[in-house]
Amino acid sequence: MALNILVVDDSSVMRAIIIKTLHLSQLPLGEVHEAGNGQEALKVLDGKWIDLALVDINMPVMDGEEMINRVRQNPATADLPVIIVSTEGSETRKEGLLEKGAGFVHKPFTPETLRDAILRTLGGLDEQKAGDGTLQGGHPDF
Amino acid sequence: MSKKLETELYKAATLTFEELGFLLPTPEIDEQQLNAQVEAAVSVDFEGPFSGKLLVRVCGGLLPIIAANMLGEDDVPSKSLQYDALGEIANVICGNMLPGIAGSKDVFRVSSPKMAESIDSPAVAEVQVGLGLGRADLLLFVSRYPALTEE
Repeated sequence: MALNILVVDDSSVMRAIIIKTLHLSQLPLGEVHEAGNGQEALKVLDGKWIDLALVDINMPVMDGEEMINRVRQNPATADLPVIIVSTEGSETRKEGLLEKGAGFVHKPFTPETLRDAILRTLGGLDEQKAGDGTLQGGHPDF
Repeated sequence: MSKKLETELYKAATLTFEELGFLLPTPEIDEQQLNAQVEAAVSVDFEGPFSGKLLVRVCGGLLPIIAANMLGEDDVPSKSLQYDALGEIANVICGNMLPGIAGSKDVFRVSSPKMAESIDSPAVAEVQVGLGLGRADLLLFVSRYPALTEE
C-alpha cells in the first residue's frame, strides 16, 4: 500500500524537512503533495486521492484548525487521517484537535517521532514488520 | 520575572537550534562570537492572554549554515530559503517558549515570520546563544503581561 501524503505548512523549508523525513522513513510512499495553507490543501484534496495529511496549525489564509473542520464536514474527506505537525503548546487547543480525530507531532521532531506518529495514526505501528517498510492493515485508529 | 522569561527563552532556543538546526550551543560566548556582525533578523508576533513579538538575530555566518543543516543540503540554499529557515527557527522557538511562560492552558496565535523591522521598544528579555563561530540573539517584547505590569 503506497501512501499518498499531503504536507500543509506555510514554510517551504518545513515542508522540505517533512518530505525529506518521509523519504528517509522507509514508509511506502506514493505521491507527496504540498500546500502552503488550509485553502490550498482543500483544493488538493478536491482533486487528488490522499491517504494522510500532515498539517501545521498557524498558517495565513486558512489555518490548520479551520481546514480540519472543513475536512470533517465534507463526507468525501471526513475520515481522512490527519496529523498536526506544530509548535502548539496549549493543552486546551491540542485537546480540541484530538477530539477532531487528529494525531499530534510537536516541532521540533525527530524522524522517528514523525514516522511512529504516522504508523500509529494509520494503525500499523504494532503490526509493522521491523524495517521492511510494509504497512499492514492501514485502518485509521479513530 | 525577567529571569524566568530569559530561562524559558534560552531553553526553547537551545532545544530548537539543536534539534531543528543541528547546531550545538557553546557553553559560553567567546570574544569572536561576541564581536560577530549581525547578518539577518526575523520576528514572529503572538497574540493571546498577552501579546508580543520574538525577534531572532543571527551573526557570524550562521544564516546559510542553519538553512543548509535544516534542508540537509551540501550546497548553499538560496537567500529566500535561508530567511525561510530562520523564520521557522523563530516560529518554533516562540511556540516552545510560550507554554513555559504562560502555562499550558492558554491559547496563543503565532503569526507567520517576517524580516525584522527596527526595534522601537525595550525587550523584556534578551538572551544570546553561542553557535559555532557566531551567535544568535533573542529578544522578547511583550505587552499586556500582568506579571510584568505588577513589577
